Amino acid sequence: MTSTAPRVTEADRADRAQEPSVTRRAGGAGRLRPTGSGPRGGRGPGRRSVSASRAPLVLLAPAALLLLALVVYPLVRLVVISFQDYGLRAIFTGQAGFAGLTNYTNVLTDASFWPVILRTVLVTGAMVVGTIVIGMAVSQLLTRLGVVMRTVVSVVLVLAWAMPNVASSLVWQWLFQPFYGVLNWLITQLRVFGDHTQDNWASSPGQAITIVLTLVIWQAVPFVALTLYAAQSQIAPEYYEAGALDGASAWAMYRAITLPALVPTLLLVTILSVIWDFNVFNQIWLLTKGGPEDTTLTLGIWTFVKSFVSNAYGQGAAIAVISTLILGALTSYYIRRLVRSGEEDL
Amino acid sequence: MTTSVSTSTRRPKRKRKPRVVANTIAVVFCLVWVFPIYWMVNTAFKPADEVTTLTPIWAPLHPTLENFTRALTQDGFLVYLRNSAIVVVAAVLLSIVVGFLASAALSRFRFRGRRAILVAILFVQMIPSGALLIPLFLSFQSLGLLNSYIGLILAYVASVLPFSIWVMRGFFVAVPAEIEEAAKMDGAGTFRILWSVLFPLVMPGVIATSVFAFIAAWNDYLTAYVMLKDQGMYTLPVWLAGFSTNKGTDFGGLMAASVLFSIPVVVFFLIVQRRLVSGMTAGAVKG
Repeated sequence: MTSTAPRVTEADRADRAQEPSVTRRAGGAGRLRPTGSGPRGGRGPGRRSVSASRAPLVLLAPAALLLLALVVYPLVRLVVISFQDYGLRAIFTGQAGFAGLTNYTNVLTDASFWPVILRTVLVTGAMVVGTIVIGMAVSQLLTRLGVVMRTVVSVVLVLAWAMPNVASSLVWQWLFQPFYGVLNWLITQLRVFGDHTQDNWASSPGQAITIVLTLVIWQAVPFVALTLYAAQSQIAPEYYEAGALDGASAWAMYRAITLPALVPTLLLVTILSVIWDFNVFNQIWLLTKGGPEDTTLTLGIWTFVKSFVSNAYGQGAAIAVISTLILGALTSYYIRRLVRSGEEDL
Repeated sequence: MTTSVSTSTRRPKRKRKPRVVANTIAVVFCLVWVFPIYWMVNTAFKPADEVTTLTPIWAPLHPTLENFTRALTQDGFLVYLRNSAIVVVAAVLLSIVVGFLASAALSRFRFRGRRAILVAILFVQMIPSGALLIPLFLSFQSLGLLNSYIGLILAYVASVLPFSIWVMRGFFVAVPAEIEEAAKMDGAGTFRILWSVLFPLVMPGVIATSVFAFIAAWNDYLTAYVMLKDQGMYTLPVWLAGFSTNKGTDFGGLMAASVLFSIPVVVFFLIVQRRLVSGMTAGAVKG
């Protein structure tokens, strides 16, 4: 069943991207979209178009209210809090004094600051690279399989993808449990790395980051692989036939035909992976709580610890603002593209 | 269908060998990738003395449901299930109804500021999830909404609504304008068209979006962990995450609880998996 699954995407998206530009010409504030050319043109602004112009406002109002209250206001408040002396006292009194840049200077001069930034970028990078490389390989693999095997692989991918990450984090704890963890046993049986049966992975720096990375990558590969496969299955077979006639090797064809066709999709899944992996919280918190010795302390965990463990909400907010800016910088290329594409067809 | 055609036209020229290699790699990949899930299910069905063994037991020798009954009965599982269900269903319903109206406005009408709203909705999805939590927590604290269904529902709406609007808008845009025009010619009013003409057409999209929204809210741990203080208010993920620390090393029970918690999500994933890839990418990219 899964074999037919993912390949709708590209075509779908192309269709949709085409659509709005057609209607754009219709112009006119607040009219129902199909303004058409003929009958409507001569009607002029009658009563109906007045009521129609109110329609989108009525439709938008509930969402606008909710988003203003639950997203826009909190965002503004986040920035405000980052300039306030907002700790436990402020919670009880309801009064928070203006702190100027104190929170930011505190955060920036914190001994953890640069290590956390560097670690977050490196860990995100490792997760993204691992996910994309394996995802590309699996996508290519899917194109080489028969229907049955392809379905099996797709089902496995969907299962791994579907696991709630709280559940998979607990499974990881169990897989790597000292004495009883099945992977500790397996690694020991390989007889290459020595005896690891008693390892407590979460308490040794190198091992802690290993279990976090494997968990995140394990869960992130399916989306990337299936999305890339959807794009890959859109490539016209004629290219490969021509390549085969010219006697091109499989690798040469992958580089000359597949890769260029995949570039837009690769860009998309890379940026999405950056956003998601940068924000990973559950897996790290449940496996290592940022330890040992801060070796898995990323910006997301640090924000949480400062705000909700140390109750230094002002500093937590400052870190959150800084994280948002860093993520914005990392994805600015994508945002620019979105806004530009927004000018064309939003 | 395109793939099967393309692969079959390409394949006869290849020798048998590549397929063997590919199949071998695929089998190894499947074994590796499915193993954690297999081990969860395997452990869940084992009696206690087969769970903690120094040499792994690869399949339950005496399969049992005792882990499931223990997880279900002992620890207030049903209370957490009810909390999760109430909060998630309310948040999804609210987001979908409100988001449906908004996405209709943003796709079937043209008005000033529309593009700005769309860009803003996209931008919101790039904000780290933890960032909104601090101000929401502090606001809810002063409003007395911590530890309440309403607070958690609103927090989920904050994260699910922008995404729902964006994804549903994509489904709306795909409906040809002529259908609407025809209804208009027949004298149907704006809301009549929306309800009787457009809604049935975008129904599959609405369902798919609801499922995405459900999964996102059902899986949330961080928000609930921060907002809920009473154990009686816990949702399933919060309870599940605390399970191992509360119970020491009851990994049989823990894995059984993980299976129970994952089942609805896996079922939903399998139902909407055709739309998964397009839905996820549409959620963050232009439709």
